[in-house]
Amino acid sequence: MTEETTIDWSTGMRLMAGDMFLGLYQPSPETTGYWDGVRRHEFLLKHCLRCDGCHHPRRILCPDCNEAVSAWKPAKGTGKLHSYSEVHRATGVFAKSTPYTVGIVELDEGVPLFARIFGEPGIDVPVEVDFRVLEQGALLPVFVVKTAP
Amino acid sequence: MTTQLSGSCAIVGMGRSISLKSDAERKTPLQLVVDAASQAMREAGITRKQVGALLTGRMPRTYCSLQYNQAVLNELKITPMISTEVTSHGAGALGTIELAVVLLQARVIDYALCVCGEASPLWIEMVEGSANWEADLQFEAPYGATTPALYAQVAQRYMHDYNIRPEQCARVAVENRLWALDHPQAAMRKKGKISVDDVLSSRMVASPLRMLDCAAWFPGGIGSAAVITRADLVPESPSKPSWILGFGQSSTHEWIGERFALRGAGPTENGPNITNLGVGEAARQAYAMSGLRPADVGIVETSAPFTFANLMVLEELGFCGKGEGGDFVEGGGINYDGGLPFNTTGGYLSFGQSGQGLYLLKEVLEQIHGEPEGRPVPGVKVGLVHGHGGPLACHSVMLVGGERP
Repeated sequence: MTEETTIDWSTGMRLMAGDMFLGLYQPSPETTGYWDGVRRHEFLLKHCLRCDGCHHPRRILCPDCNEAVSAWKPAKGTGKLHSYSEVHRATGVFAKSTPYTVGIVELDEGVPLFARIFGEPGIDVPVEVDFRVLEQGALLPVFVVKTAP
Repeated sequence: MTTQLSGSCAIVGMGRSISLKSDAERKTPLQLVVDAASQAMREAGITRKQVGALLTGRMPRTYCSLQYNQAVLNELKITPMISTEVTSHGAGALGTIELAVVLLQARVIDYALCVCGEASPLWIEMVEGSANWEADLQFEAPYGATTPALYAQVAQRYMHDYNIRPEQCARVAVENRLWALDHPQAAMRKKGKISVDDVLSSRMVASPLRMLDCAAWFPGGIGSAAVITRADLVPESPSKPSWILGFGQSSTHEWIGERFALRGAGPTENGPNITNLGVGEAARQAYAMSGLRPADVGIVETSAPFTFANLMVLEELGFCGKGEGGDFVEGGGINYDGGLPFNTTGGYLSFGQSGQGLYLLKEVLEQIHGEPEGRPVPGVKVGLVHGHGGPLACHSVMLVGGERP
Protein backbone atom coordinates (compact mmCIF):
# COMPACT_ATOMS: atom_id res chain seq x y z
CA MET A 1 0.00 0.00 0.00
CA THR A 2 1.58 3.23 -1.14
CA GLU A 3 -1.01 5.59 0.30
CA GLU A 4 -2.44 5.48 3.80
CA THR A 5 -6.21 5.56 3.54
CA THR A 6 -9.08 5.51 5.99
CA ILE A 7 -12.52 4.02 5.51
CA ASP A 8 -15.07 6.56 4.33
CA TRP A 9 -18.00 6.33 6.75
CA SER A 10 -19.52 9.67 5.76
CA THR A 11 -22.14 8.37 3.35
CA GLY A 12 -22.80 5.09 5.14
CA MET A 13 -22.65 1.49 3.95
CA ARG A 14 -25.31 0.20 1.59
CA LEU A 15 -27.40 -2.67 2.96
CA MET A 16 -28.50 -5.02 0.20
CA ALA A 17 -30.79 -8.05 -0.06
CA GLY A 18 -29.50 -9.67 -3.21
CA ASP A 19 -29.61 -6.82 -5.72
CA MET A 20 -32.35 -5.00 -3.82
CA PHE A 21 -31.33 -1.93 -1.87
CA LEU A 22 -32.65 -1.71 1.70
CA GLY A 23 -31.01 1.35 3.24
CA LEU A 24 -27.81 2.63 4.76
CA TYR A 25 -25.77 1.50 7.71
CA GLN A 26 -25.08 4.60 9.79
CA PRO A 27 -23.89 7.38 7.46
CA SER A 28 -21.54 9.45 9.58
CA PRO A 29 -20.61 12.83 8.08
CA GLU A 30 -20.06 14.09 11.64
CA THR A 31 -16.86 12.07 11.96
CA THR A 32 -15.26 13.12 8.67
CA GLY A 33 -13.03 15.66 10.43
CA TYR A 34 -11.66 12.94 12.69
CA TRP A 35 -10.65 10.70 9.80
CA ASP A 36 -9.25 13.67 7.85
CA GLY A 37 -7.03 14.25 10.89
CA VAL A 38 -6.01 10.60 11.05
CA ARG A 39 -4.77 10.75 7.46
CA ARG A 40 -2.56 13.72 8.45
CA HIS A 41 -1.45 11.76 11.56
CA GLU A 42 -3.24 14.33 13.70
CA PHE A 43 -5.36 13.16 16.62
CA LEU A 44 -8.49 15.27 17.00
CA LEU A 45 -11.48 15.19 19.32
CA LYS A 46 -14.88 16.80 19.11
CA HIS A 47 -14.79 20.13 20.89
CA CYS A 48 -17.65 21.98 22.56
CA LEU A 49 -17.06 25.71 22.03
CA ARG A 50 -19.39 26.53 24.89
CA CYS A 51 -17.84 24.55 27.77
CA ASP A 52 -14.44 23.86 26.12
CA GLY A 53 -14.97 20.16 26.82
CA CYS A 54 -13.72 17.43 24.51
CA HIS A 55 -15.82 14.52 23.34
CA HIS A 56 -15.69 11.25 21.44
CA PRO A 57 -15.44 11.82 17.67
CA ARG A 58 -18.95 10.42 17.29
CA ARG A 59 -20.57 13.11 19.53
CA ILE A 60 -23.27 15.18 17.91
CA LEU A 61 -24.39 16.83 21.13
CA CYS A 62 -22.43 18.02 24.15
CA PRO A 63 -24.31 16.29 27.00
CA ASP A 64 -23.09 18.89 29.48
CA CYS A 65 -24.33 21.92 27.51
CA ASN A 66 -27.08 20.31 25.43
CA GLU A 67 -25.44 22.06 22.47
CA ALA A 68 -24.50 20.69 19.07
CA VAL A 69 -20.78 19.98 18.72
CA SER A 70 -19.08 20.07 15.35
CA ALA A 71 -15.67 21.65 16.01
CA TRP A 72 -12.45 19.67 16.25
CA LYS A 73 -9.55 20.25 18.62
CA PRO A 74 -6.11 18.65 18.56
CA ALA A 75 -5.85 16.30 21.53
CA LYS A 76 -2.68 15.47 23.43
CA GLY A 77 -2.86 11.87 22.26
CA THR A 78 -1.96 10.59 25.70
CA GLY A 79 -3.96 8.84 28.36
CA LYS A 80 -4.13 5.69 30.43
CA LEU A 81 -5.46 2.26 29.70
CA HIS A 82 -8.77 1.92 31.49
CA SER A 83 -9.16 -1.71 30.51
CA TYR A 84 -8.00 -4.19 27.89
CA SER A 85 -8.22 -7.71 26.58
CA GLU A 86 -5.75 -9.89 24.76
CA VAL A 87 -7.67 -11.49 21.91
CA HIS A 88 -6.75 -15.11 21.26
CA ARG A 89 -9.60 -16.11 19.02
CA ALA A 90 -10.76 -13.97 16.13
CA THR A 91 -12.30 -14.42 12.72
CA GLY A 92 -11.80 -13.01 9.24
CA VAL A 93 -8.79 -10.80 8.60
CA PHE A 94 -8.00 -10.65 12.31
CA ALA A 95 -7.58 -14.42 12.78
CA LYS A 96 -3.94 -14.40 11.71
CA SER A 97 -3.00 -11.54 14.05
CA THR A 98 -3.89 -13.23 17.33
CA PRO A 99 -2.91 -12.65 20.02
CA TYR A 100 -3.42 -8.89 19.88
CA THR A 101 -4.72 -6.46 22.45
CA VAL A 102 -7.74 -4.18 22.30
CA GLY A 103 -8.59 -1.78 25.07
CA ILE A 104 -10.41 1.31 26.24
CA VAL A 105 -8.12 4.31 26.58
CA GLU A 106 -9.06 7.08 28.96
CA LEU A 107 -7.59 10.09 27.19
CA ASP A 108 -6.16 12.97 29.23
CA GLU A 109 -9.11 15.03 27.96
CA GLY A 110 -11.42 12.62 29.82
CA VAL A 111 -12.68 10.98 26.64
CA PRO A 112 -12.71 7.19 26.29
CA LEU A 113 -11.63 5.61 23.02
CA PHE A 114 -11.60 1.96 22.02
CA ALA A 115 -8.42 1.03 20.16
CA ARG A 116 -5.73 -1.51 19.38
CA ILE A 117 -3.06 -1.48 22.05
CA PHE A 118 0.62 -2.20 21.42
CA GLY A 119 3.11 -3.00 24.17
CA GLU A 120 2.62 -4.65 27.55
CA PRO A 121 -0.90 -3.77 28.73
CA GLY A 122 -1.96 -3.16 32.31
CA ILE A 123 -4.74 -1.35 34.11
CA ASP A 124 -4.09 2.41 34.12
CA VAL A 125 -0.71 2.17 32.36
CA PRO A 126 0.15 5.34 30.36
CA VAL A 127 -0.35 5.13 26.61
CA GLU A 128 0.17 7.44 23.64
CA VAL A 129 -1.33 7.57 20.21
CA ASP A 130 0.30 6.30 17.04
CA PHE A 131 -1.06 5.78 13.56
CA ARG A 132 -0.83 2.40 11.92
CA VAL A 133 -2.42 0.43 9.10
CA LEU A 134 -4.22 -2.57 10.61
CA GLU A 135 -5.61 -5.78 9.13
CA GLN A 136 -8.43 -4.21 7.14
CA GLY A 137 -5.88 -2.13 5.25
CA ALA A 138 -7.02 1.17 6.72
CA LEU A 139 -5.02 3.68 8.72
CA LEU A 140 -6.19 3.89 12.33
CA PRO A 141 -5.14 5.65 15.50
CA VAL A 142 -3.74 3.05 17.90
CA PHE A 143 -2.17 3.37 21.33
CA VAL A 144 1.26 2.30 22.47
CA VAL A 145 2.08 1.61 26.09
CA LYS A 146 4.72 4.08 27.25
CA THR A 147 7.79 2.43 28.66
CA ALA A 148 9.46 3.84 31.75
CA PRO A 149 12.06 6.49 30.87
CA MET B 1 -42.68 4.18 43.50
CA THR B 2 -45.72 2.90 41.66
CA THR B 3 -46.45 0.07 44.03
CA GLN B 4 -49.99 0.01 42.62
CA LEU B 5 -48.49 -1.87 39.68
CA SER B 6 -47.29 -4.70 41.91
CA GLY B 7 -49.55 -7.69 41.50
CA SER B 8 -51.89 -5.73 39.23
CA CYS B 9 -51.37 -8.07 36.30
CA ALA B 10 -50.72 -11.73 35.68
CA ILE B 11 -49.31 -13.98 33.02
CA VAL B 12 -52.20 -16.26 32.08
CA GLY B 13 -50.65 -18.10 29.18
CA MET B 14 -47.17 -18.97 27.97
CA GLY B 15 -45.81 -20.74 24.97
CA ARG B 16 -42.41 -21.84 23.82
CA SER B 17 -41.30 -23.37 20.56
CA ILE B 18 -37.88 -24.85 19.93
CA SER B 19 -36.15 -25.88 16.73
CA LEU B 20 -32.80 -27.62 16.92
CA LYS B 21 -29.92 -27.84 14.47
CA SER B 22 -30.36 -31.59 14.61
CA ASP B 23 -34.00 -31.39 13.47
CA ALA B 24 -34.76 -32.48 9.92
CA GLU B 25 -36.49 -29.17 9.21
CA ARG B 26 -35.07 -25.86 10.46
CA LYS B 27 -37.66 -23.38 11.58
CA THR B 28 -37.49 -19.64 11.03
CA PRO B 29 -37.79 -17.17 13.91
CA LEU B 30 -41.22 -16.20 12.58
CA GLN B 31 -42.39 -19.82 12.61
CA LEU B 32 -41.14 -20.25 16.17
CA VAL B 33 -42.70 -17.11 17.61
CA VAL B 34 -46.00 -17.69 15.85
CA ASP B 35 -46.10 -21.22 17.25
CA ALA B 36 -45.28 -19.90 20.74
CA ALA B 37 -47.90 -17.14 20.43
CA SER B 38 -50.61 -19.60 19.44
CA GLN B 39 -49.73 -21.81 22.44
CA ALA B 40 -49.88 -18.82 24.79
CA MET B 41 -53.23 -17.63 23.43
CA ARG B 42 -54.66 -21.15 23.71
CA GLU B 43 -53.49 -21.49 27.31
CA ALA B 44 -54.89 -18.06 28.15
CA GLY B 45 -58.17 -18.94 26.46
CA ILE B 46 -58.29 -15.78 24.34
CA THR B 47 -59.11 -15.32 20.68
CA ARG B 48 -57.16 -13.22 18.21
CA LYS B 49 -59.86 -10.55 18.50
CA GLN B 50 -58.99 -9.98 22.15
CA VAL B 51 -55.32 -9.11 21.71
CA GLY B 52 -55.13 -5.43 22.64
CA ALA B 53 -51.39 -5.07 22.33
CA LEU B 54 -48.76 -7.01 20.45
CA LEU B 55 -45.36 -6.35 22.00
CA THR B 56 -42.48 -8.08 20.30
CA GLY B 57 -38.82 -8.17 21.07
CA ARG B 58 -36.28 -6.94 18.61
CA MET B 59 -36.04 -8.06 15.03
CA PRO B 60 -34.24 -11.42 14.86
CA ARG B 61 -30.97 -11.40 12.97
CA THR B 62 -32.32 -14.09 10.71
CA TYR B 63 -35.62 -12.36 9.99
CA CYS B 64 -34.49 -8.83 9.20
CA SER B 65 -37.54 -6.65 8.75
CA LEU B 66 -38.04 -2.97 9.42
CA GLN B 67 -41.32 -3.74 11.20
CA TYR B 68 -40.84 -7.20 12.61
CA ASN B 69 -43.81 -6.78 14.94
CA GLN B 70 -46.01 -6.16 11.91
CA ALA B 71 -44.80 -9.37 10.29
CA VAL B 72 -45.86 -11.23 13.44
CA LEU B 73 -49.19 -9.40 13.50
CA ASN B 74 -49.69 -10.16 9.83
CA GLU B 75 -49.20 -13.87 10.41
CA LEU B 76 -51.43 -14.04 13.51
CA LYS B 77 -54.14 -11.97 11.79
CA ILE B 78 -54.68 -9.87 14.87
CA THR B 79 -55.64 -6.19 14.98
CA PRO B 80 -54.27 -4.80 18.24
CA MET B 81 -54.63 -1.20 19.35
CA ILE B 82 -50.89 -1.14 20.02
CA SER B 83 -48.25 -2.99 18.06
CA THR B 84 -44.61 -2.26 18.70
CA GLU B 85 -41.19 -3.68 19.31
CA VAL B 86 -39.61 -3.31 22.73
CA THR B 87 -35.97 -3.37 21.90
CA SER B 88 -33.47 -2.80 24.65
CA HIS B 89 -31.49 -5.70 23.20
CA GLY B 90 -32.05 -8.88 25.22
CA ALA B 91 -33.53 -6.88 28.08
CA GLY B 92 -36.41 -6.01 25.78
CA ALA B 93 -37.89 -9.47 26.28
CA LEU B 94 -38.89 -8.67 29.85
CA GLY B 95 -39.48 -5.12 28.64
CA THR B 96 -42.44 -6.36 26.59
CA ILE B 97 -44.08 -7.61 29.78
CA GLU B 98 -43.27 -4.44 31.69
CA LEU B 99 -44.90 -2.30 29.02
CA ALA B 100 -47.84 -4.70 28.94
CA VAL B 101 -48.43 -4.15 32.67
CA VAL B 102 -48.38 -0.38 32.24
CA LEU B 103 -50.87 -0.54 29.36
CA LEU B 104 -53.14 -2.97 31.20
CA GLN B 105 -53.11 -1.00 34.41
CA ALA B 106 -53.94 2.15 32.43
CA ARG B 107 -56.96 0.16 31.18
CA VAL B 108 -56.35 0.98 27.54
CA ILE B 109 -56.19 -2.74 26.75
CA ASP B 110 -57.33 -5.99 28.39
CA TYR B 111 -54.87 -8.51 26.96
CA ALA B 112 -51.30 -8.11 25.81
CA LEU B 113 -49.43 -10.65 23.73
CA CYS B 114 -45.66 -10.53 24.26
CA VAL B 115 -43.56 -12.39 21.72
CA CYS B 116 -39.77 -12.85 21.46
CA GLY B 117 -37.50 -15.17 19.61
CA GLU B 118 -34.32 -15.92 17.73
CA ALA B 119 -33.17 -18.76 15.54
CA SER B 120 -29.86 -17.45 14.26
CA PRO B 121 -27.74 -20.53 15.02
CA LEU B 122 -29.98 -22.49 12.64
CA TRP B 123 -29.32 -20.17 9.74
CA ILE B 124 -26.01 -18.36 10.11
CA GLU B 125 -22.50 -18.71 11.50
CA MET B 126 -22.77 -17.02 14.88
CA VAL B 127 -19.17 -16.39 15.91
CA GLU B 128 -18.18 -14.26 12.95
CA GLY B 129 -21.31 -12.17 12.72
CA SER B 130 -22.14 -11.42 16.31
CA ALA B 131 -19.39 -8.86 16.90
CA ASN B 132 -20.62 -6.88 13.92
CA TRP B 133 -23.77 -6.14 15.89
CA GLU B 134 -22.11 -5.77 19.29
CA ALA B 135 -19.20 -3.57 18.21
CA ASP B 136 -19.26 -0.10 16.73
CA LEU B 137 -18.31 -0.84 13.12
CA GLN B 138 -16.54 2.50 12.76
CA PHE B 139 -14.73 2.84 16.08
CA GLU B 140 -14.40 -0.68 17.51
CA ALA B 141 -14.68 -3.40 14.88
CA PRO B 142 -11.69 -2.20 12.77
CA TYR B 143 -9.46 -3.01 15.76
CA GLY B 144 -10.55 -6.65 15.81
CA ALA B 145 -13.09 -6.32 18.60
CA THR B 146 -14.63 -9.74 19.08
CA THR B 147 -17.74 -10.09 21.23
CA PRO B 148 -15.84 -11.69 24.13
CA ALA B 149 -13.17 -8.95 23.85
CA LEU B 150 -15.86 -6.29 24.31
CA TYR B 151 -17.20 -7.93 27.47
CA ALA B 152 -13.64 -8.64 28.61
CA GLN B 153 -13.08 -4.89 28.98
CA VAL B 154 -15.53 -4.91 31.87
CA ALA B 155 -14.19 -8.22 33.18
CA GLN B 156 -10.59 -7.03 33.31
CA ARG B 157 -11.42 -3.79 35.11
CA TYR B 158 -13.91 -5.43 37.48
CA MET B 159 -11.52 -8.20 38.46
CA HIS B 160 -8.74 -5.66 38.97
CA ASP B 161 -10.75 -3.16 41.00
CA TYR B 162 -12.45 -5.72 43.23
CA ASN B 163 -9.69 -8.31 43.40
CA ILE B 164 -11.82 -11.03 41.83
CA ARG B 165 -9.88 -14.18 40.98
CA PRO B 166 -10.44 -16.34 37.87
CA GLU B 167 -11.18 -19.39 40.01
CA GLN B 168 -14.02 -17.48 41.66
CA CYS B 169 -15.52 -16.68 38.28
CA ALA B 170 -15.07 -20.31 37.27
CA ARG B 171 -17.34 -21.45 40.08
CA VAL B 172 -20.29 -19.98 38.20
CA ALA B 173 -19.58 -22.22 35.21
CA VAL B 174 -19.15 -25.26 37.47
CA GLU B 175 -22.46 -24.78 39.31
CA ASN B 176 -24.40 -23.79 36.17
CA ARG B 177 -23.24 -26.97 34.47
CA LEU B 178 -24.68 -29.14 37.26
CA TRP B 179 -28.12 -27.63 36.67
CA ALA B 180 -27.78 -28.14 32.91
CA LEU B 181 -27.16 -31.86 33.37
CA ASP B 182 -30.72 -32.11 34.74
CA HIS B 183 -32.38 -29.99 32.07
CA PRO B 184 -33.69 -31.77 28.97
CA GLN B 185 -33.22 -28.73 26.72
CA ALA B 186 -29.79 -27.56 27.90
CA ALA B 187 -27.06 -27.39 25.28
CA MET B 188 -24.54 -28.99 27.65
CA ARG B 189 -26.85 -31.60 29.20
CA LYS B 190 -24.75 -34.47 27.87
CA LYS B 191 -21.35 -32.88 28.37
CA GLY B 192 -20.84 -33.95 31.99
CA LYS B 193 -19.62 -32.06 35.00
CA ILE B 194 -16.79 -29.57 34.82
CA SER B 195 -14.34 -28.48 37.51
CA VAL B 196 -12.77 -25.14 38.33
CA ASP B 197 -9.56 -26.52 36.85
CA ASP B 198 -11.39 -27.39 33.62
CA VAL B 199 -12.48 -23.77 33.32
CA LEU B 200 -9.03 -22.40 34.16
CA SER B 201 -7.33 -24.71 31.66
CA SER B 202 -9.82 -24.13 28.85
CA ARG B 203 -8.59 -22.20 25.83
CA MET B 204 -8.09 -18.47 26.29
CA VAL B 205 -10.60 -16.60 24.13
CA ALA B 206 -10.13 -12.95 25.10
CA SER B 207 -8.27 -12.40 28.35
CA PRO B 208 -9.34 -12.83 31.07
CA LEU B 209 -12.14 -14.88 29.50
CA ARG B 210 -11.52 -18.52 28.69
CA MET B 211 -13.76 -20.79 26.64
CA LEU B 212 -15.67 -22.10 29.66
CA ASP B 213 -16.16 -18.55 30.98
CA CYS B 214 -18.24 -17.83 27.88
CA ALA B 215 -21.86 -18.55 27.03
CA ALA B 216 -22.52 -21.46 24.73
CA TRP B 217 -24.72 -20.92 21.71
CA PHE B 218 -28.03 -22.67 22.07
CA PRO B 219 -27.94 -25.22 19.24
CA GLY B 220 -31.07 -23.92 17.60
CA GLY B 221 -33.78 -21.32 17.97
CA ILE B 222 -36.37 -20.55 20.61
CA GLY B 223 -39.58 -18.60 20.27
CA SER B 224 -41.43 -17.65 23.41
CA ALA B 225 -44.66 -15.83 24.13
CA ALA B 226 -46.81 -14.74 27.03
CA VAL B 227 -50.34 -13.42 27.42
CA ILE B 228 -50.76 -10.86 30.19
CA THR B 229 -53.97 -9.53 31.63
CA ARG B 230 -55.23 -7.43 34.52
CA ALA B 231 -56.05 -8.91 37.92
CA ASP B 232 -59.80 -8.35 37.49
CA LEU B 233 -59.78 -10.46 34.34
CA VAL B 234 -57.83 -13.37 35.82
CA PRO B 235 -60.18 -16.29 36.46
CA GLU B 236 -60.05 -17.80 39.95
CA SER B 237 -59.89 -21.32 38.52
CA PRO B 238 -58.74 -23.54 37.02
CA SER B 239 -55.84 -21.51 35.62
CA LYS B 240 -52.42 -21.14 37.20
CA PRO B 241 -51.67 -17.48 36.70
CA SER B 242 -48.30 -16.01 37.58
CA TRP B 243 -48.28 -12.60 39.16
CA ILE B 244 -45.96 -9.78 38.18
CA LEU B 245 -44.84 -8.34 41.49
CA GLY B 246 -42.22 -5.86 40.43
CA PHE B 247 -39.98 -4.80 37.59
CA GLY B 248 -37.30 -2.34 36.68
CA GLN B 249 -35.04 -1.53 33.80
CA SER B 250 -31.89 0.45 33.10
CA SER B 251 -29.98 1.10 29.89
CA THR B 252 -26.66 2.92 29.71
CA HIS B 253 -25.02 2.72 26.28
CA GLU B 254 -24.89 1.10 22.89
CA TRP B 255 -21.13 0.57 22.54
CA ILE B 256 -18.95 -0.55 25.42
CA GLY B 257 -16.08 1.67 24.29
CA GLU B 258 -18.23 4.68 25.01
CA ARG B 259 -19.67 3.49 28.31
CA PHE B 260 -16.91 5.35 30.16
CA ALA B 261 -18.14 8.60 28.58
CA LEU B 262 -21.37 8.33 30.57
CA ARG B 263 -21.11 10.70 33.50
CA GLY B 264 -23.45 11.80 36.24
CA ALA B 265 -26.39 9.60 35.32
CA GLY B 266 -27.69 6.25 36.48
CA PRO B 267 -24.91 3.88 37.55
CA THR B 268 -22.30 6.59 36.88
CA GLU B 269 -23.89 9.12 39.22
CA ASN B 270 -20.72 9.09 41.31
CA GLY B 271 -18.30 9.25 38.41
CA PRO B 272 -17.56 7.45 35.16
CA ASN B 273 -16.97 3.72 35.42
CA ILE B 274 -17.62 0.56 33.48
CA THR B 275 -18.13 -1.67 36.52
CA ASN B 276 -21.45 -0.47 37.90
CA LEU B 277 -23.98 -2.05 35.61
CA GLY B 278 -27.59 -0.98 35.34
CA VAL B 279 -28.64 -4.17 37.13
CA GLY B 280 -28.57 -2.38 40.47
CA GLU B 281 -30.82 0.39 39.20
CA ALA B 282 -33.27 -2.09 37.70
CA ALA B 283 -33.26 -4.19 40.86
CA ARG B 284 -33.88 -1.19 43.10
CA GLN B 285 -36.91 -0.29 41.00
CA ALA B 286 -38.24 -3.85 41.09
CA TYR B 287 -37.74 -4.30 44.83
CA ALA B 288 -39.32 -0.92 45.55
CA MET B 289 -42.34 -1.67 43.37
CA SER B 290 -42.89 -5.05 44.97
CA GLY B 291 -41.86 -4.34 48.56
CA LEU B 292 -39.72 -7.47 48.32
CA ARG B 293 -36.09 -7.96 49.30
CA PRO B 294 -33.41 -10.32 47.99
CA ALA B 295 -34.08 -12.60 50.98
CA ASP B 296 -37.63 -13.14 49.67
CA VAL B 297 -36.39 -14.51 46.35
CA GLY B 298 -36.26 -18.28 46.00
CA ILE B 299 -34.90 -18.66 42.47
CA VAL B 300 -32.86 -16.45 40.12
CA GLU B 301 -32.30 -16.71 36.38
CA THR B 302 -30.01 -14.36 34.49
CA SER B 303 -28.99 -14.04 30.87
CA ALA B 304 -25.50 -12.87 31.87
CA PRO B 305 -23.34 -14.42 29.15
CA PHE B 306 -19.98 -14.70 30.91
CA THR B 307 -18.91 -16.02 34.32
CA PHE B 308 -17.71 -12.68 35.71
CA ALA B 309 -20.93 -10.97 34.64
CA ASN B 310 -22.89 -13.46 36.75
CA LEU B 311 -20.90 -12.33 39.79
CA MET B 312 -21.64 -8.69 39.01
CA VAL B 313 -25.34 -9.51 38.59
CA LEU B 314 -25.49 -11.36 41.92
CA GLU B 315 -23.89 -8.34 43.59
CA GLU B 316 -26.16 -5.76 42.00
CA LEU B 317 -29.27 -7.83 42.67
CA GLY B 318 -28.32 -7.58 46.33
CA PHE B 319 -27.41 -11.18 47.11
CA CYS B 320 -24.02 -9.94 48.28
CA GLY B 321 -22.20 -6.61 48.43
CA LYS B 322 -20.44 -4.87 45.55
CA GLY B 323 -17.19 -6.66 44.84
CA GLU B 324 -18.18 -9.62 47.04
CA GLY B 325 -19.49 -11.83 44.23
CA GLY B 326 -16.32 -13.91 44.12
CA ASP B 327 -16.37 -14.63 47.84
CA PHE B 328 -20.12 -15.26 47.67
CA VAL B 329 -19.91 -18.03 45.08
CA GLU B 330 -16.71 -19.45 46.57
CA GLY B 331 -18.48 -19.68 49.92
CA GLY B 332 -21.24 -21.78 48.35
CA GLY B 333 -23.66 -18.96 47.61
CA ILE B 334 -24.92 -20.51 44.38
CA ASN B 335 -24.02 -24.12 45.09
CA TYR B 336 -26.16 -26.64 43.22
CA ASP B 337 -26.74 -28.23 46.60
CA GLY B 338 -27.73 -25.78 49.27
CA GLY B 339 -27.03 -22.47 47.57
CA LEU B 340 -29.36 -19.93 46.01
CA PRO B 341 -31.06 -21.71 43.08
CA PHE B 342 -29.31 -19.77 40.33
CA ASN B 343 -29.56 -20.38 36.58
CA THR B 344 -31.54 -23.57 37.07
CA THR B 345 -31.68 -24.23 33.33
CA GLY B 346 -27.89 -24.20 33.23
CA GLY B 347 -27.84 -20.51 32.42
CA TYR B 348 -26.29 -18.93 29.35
CA LEU B 349 -23.09 -20.81 30.07
CA SER B 350 -24.57 -24.31 29.91
CA PHE B 351 -28.18 -24.05 28.73
CA GLY B 352 -26.92 -21.81 25.95
CA GLN B 353 -27.98 -18.46 24.67
CA SER B 354 -30.65 -17.98 22.09
CA GLY B 355 -30.85 -14.23 21.74
CA GLN B 356 -33.90 -12.57 23.04
CA GLY B 357 -36.49 -14.66 24.79
CA LEU B 358 -38.87 -15.25 27.64
CA TYR B 359 -37.67 -18.80 28.23
CA LEU B 360 -35.88 -17.89 31.47
CA LEU B 361 -39.11 -16.37 32.76
CA LYS B 362 -40.90 -19.56 31.72
CA GLU B 363 -38.43 -21.63 33.75
CA VAL B 364 -39.13 -19.53 36.86
CA LEU B 365 -42.90 -19.77 36.44
CA GLU B 366 -42.73 -23.52 35.94
CA GLN B 367 -40.61 -23.87 39.08
CA ILE B 368 -43.07 -21.74 41.05
CA HIS B 369 -45.96 -23.90 39.88
CA GLY B 370 -44.04 -27.12 40.56
CA GLU B 371 -43.80 -28.20 36.92
CA PRO B 372 -40.18 -27.65 35.90
CA GLU B 373 -38.52 -29.40 32.97
CA GLY B 374 -35.34 -29.95 34.92
CA ARG B 375 -34.44 -30.35 38.58
CA PRO B 376 -37.26 -29.04 40.78
CA VAL B 377 -36.66 -26.28 43.29
CA PRO B 378 -39.29 -26.94 45.95
CA GLY B 379 -41.20 -24.26 47.78
CA VAL B 380 -40.43 -21.27 45.56
CA LYS B 381 -42.83 -18.41 46.27
CA VAL B 382 -41.04 -15.58 44.46
CA GLY B 383 -38.65 -15.75 41.53
CA LEU B 384 -36.41 -13.17 39.90
CA VAL B 385 -35.43 -12.94 36.25
CA HIS B 386 -32.66 -10.69 34.98
CA GLY B 387 -32.65 -9.98 31.27
CA HIS B 388 -29.46 -8.58 29.82
CA GLY B 389 -28.75 -7.16 26.41
CA GLY B 390 -26.14 -5.33 24.42
CA PRO B 391 -22.61 -5.47 25.76
CA LEU B 392 -23.76 -5.13 29.39
CA ALA B 393 -25.85 -2.20 28.21
CA CYS B 394 -29.46 -2.98 29.06
CA HIS B 395 -30.78 -4.65 32.18
CA SER B 396 -34.25 -5.70 33.12
CA VAL B 397 -35.27 -7.22 36.43
CA MET B 398 -38.64 -8.87 37.08
CA LEU B 399 -40.08 -10.38 40.27
CA VAL B 400 -42.86 -12.92 39.86
CA GLY B 401 -44.94 -15.02 42.21
CA GLY B 402 -47.52 -17.79 42.06
CA GLU B 403 -50.12 -16.47 44.47
CA ARG B 404 -52.58 -13.64 43.95
CA PRO B 405 -51.20 -10.80 46.10
